[in-house]
Amino acid sequence: MEAQLVNESIFILRETYAEFKNPAILWSMGKDSTASLNLCREAFLGKIPFPVIHIDTGYKFKEMYEFRDLLVKEWNLDLIVARNNEHTSPDKGKFKCCTQLKTEALLKCLQDYKFDAIIVSIRRDEHGIRAKERVFSPRSTNSKWNYKNQPLEVWDLYQNLSKDKEHTRIHPILHWTELDVWKYIKEGNLPYNPMYLAKEGKRYRSLGCEPCTFPIESDADTIDKIIEELRTTKVSERGGRIQDKEQAFSMQKLRTLGYM
Amino acid sequence: MNVVVTGHVDHGKSTLIGRLLYDSKQITEGRISEVQKLAQEYKKKFEFAYFIDSYRDELKEERTIDTTQVRFKGKERIYTIIDTPGHKEFVKNMLTGASRADAAILVVSVTDGAQEQTKRHLFLLDLLGIRNLIVFVNKMDLVSYDIKKFLDIEVQVSKLIKEYNFESIRYIQGSALEGLNVYKEGVVDALDSLIIREWEKPMRFLVQDTYRNIIVGKVISGTLKEEDILGFQPSGLWGQVSSLLTYKANLKEAGEGTSIGLVMDTYPKRGDVGMLKQDWIKAKEEYDVEFVLIDGKVEVGTPLQLKCGTKIVNCEIKKIKSKVDSETGEILQEVSPKKVKENEAAIAIIGSDPIVVEPFSKIPELGRFTLSKNKKIIGMGVVL
Repeated sequence: MEAQLVNESIFILRETYAEFKNPAILWSMGKDSTASLNLCREAFLGKIPFPVIHIDTGYKFKEMYEFRDLLVKEWNLDLIVARNNEHTSPDKGKFKCCTQLKTEALLKCLQDYKFDAIIVSIRRDEHGIRAKERVFSPRSTNSKWNYKNQPLEVWDLYQNLSKDKEHTRIHPILHWTELDVWKYIKEGNLPYNPMYLAKEGKRYRSLGCEPCTFPIESDADTIDKIIEELRTTKVSERGGRIQDKEQAFSMQKLRTLGYM
Repeated sequence: MNVVVTGHVDHGKSTLIGRLLYDSKQITEGRISEVQKLAQEYKKKFEFAYFIDSYRDELKEERTIDTTQVRFKGKERIYTIIDTPGHKEFVKNMLTGASRADAAILVVSVTDGAQEQTKRHLFLLDLLGIRNLIVFVNKMDLVSYDIKKFLDIEVQVSKLIKEYNFESIRYIQGSALEGLNVYKEGVVDALDSLIIREWEKPMRFLVQDTYRNIIVGKVISGTLKEEDILGFQPSGLWGQVSSLLTYKANLKEAGEGTSIGLVMDTYPKRGDVGMLKQDWIKAKEEYDVEFVLIDGKVEVGTPLQLKCGTKIVNCEIKKIKSKVDSETGEILQEVSPKKVKENEAAIAIIGSDPIVVEPFSKIPELGRFTLSKNKKIIGMGVVL
């Protein structure tokens, strides 16, 4: 694990807190956003000074809720659970389901609490569309991502470019890889969801909603073995996530509308 | 090490990166079949560029729109390869990518030679302070690997960069499409042999914020030690570091690039820069810069904001000394110019509220800035 990656992320988080009035962080209880929560603890020297939002689709795994409640207590998190009550279900189409249960729930939460910055733990190596992102990524008043006209973002001169009623997505681990995340978890001895470890030859590599997430074949039952597996794998991380693959460019369409 | 791939549109930047990733077996099987399926669906021939051109629009229009980054393992070390668009209209995306680079690969098609964006990219790479350049003369398969044609391009590019400050330049002939001189030898070996120059810099600490009684920020150059006495500019405060800490531990010292917290007997403000007495400098209100405008136009006296380090100040251009052709880097013969337009570059004097700036060649982090107007970034540049 390169110290430089952590230093850069801490710098980004502190810039966020200084540049925005009302930020918050999204937490899916997965490895990436849990790593980001710990980066916040490092950046703000213990207590995270803003709310932690869980977009609850109602379709998460039981183990994820357990993990959430455990860490809220242990890390003294100010948790907001956001839901879209007019909900659909995955069998009516993944695209619609993701948009309603995740994107729309997030947008409603943004409006209710008037957040002007949302910290999201996406990484460039997860998906080609995410690789195109800026670290400070402005969204329009209706939360759309104008991917065709992203602002100039040079060096580490991050700026709040949002106007009234707009918000900015902040991506503090955009430059990390899946391997970096696991190394960080290992070195910091951080808690993680046990579903990532192999049981009976299968493990979850990426965690989402239960109906749309599938385990991969793996014998990696320790973090060290996960790290070893990632060094040699030929399978992509989100291989077990359906919503990216329903049709070509699903991810681009989802993200244009405000998906993470 | 971060390496940016630049060059004119259609000279093969994305193809080169796709080929590098493919030949080094760093593309997952899922991604290969996904791209093959897409090519079929869109009735296109499979292209290596599709591995990284991920927007639907990029596939349809067969051109890169925005910059992207991929991690790539060379034979000796790991690189972040930054792809950039080669169209004039996407210069801001090229700059976004290239500003993070330690070295650059310039792709030039042997059939086309140096074109408008080849020249502009060279100018911008030089402005961004990149000193290591690999010129990849691509599409050699189209000229039956005629070495004379390669040498012609070498002569042409050498002339273009005569006035620039590149310190290490390598020319490689090859074909991204056929994979010649890309991964097996050629580009990867050239990358693995690059050395990034380091030099001795004075200690500078950038203040980001204060949490309770702890001043947080980043050591951007040199080494900061416990008990050091720091002078802050522009606030003018002085104080001693009684402890130096991260969330995990107390430190005796912190080196370049470290994000830390300080306990002190003074409270500097966000945007202040902490310095040691022996190399302390005063904040400036007037300084020489070279900048590029990416949006709209700016006249002498137009109110703007400038961000350098963590400080944003109100500023204006006091005087435009000369305008620079961003295609050739040549000084334009315009008598006392009063305005700068989109895609133009200029050497100018900026006047602003007090801010710590230093020559980019001395301390890069305090010598680079953005210019903005009404919450829109319209330009970027360096302090001379």
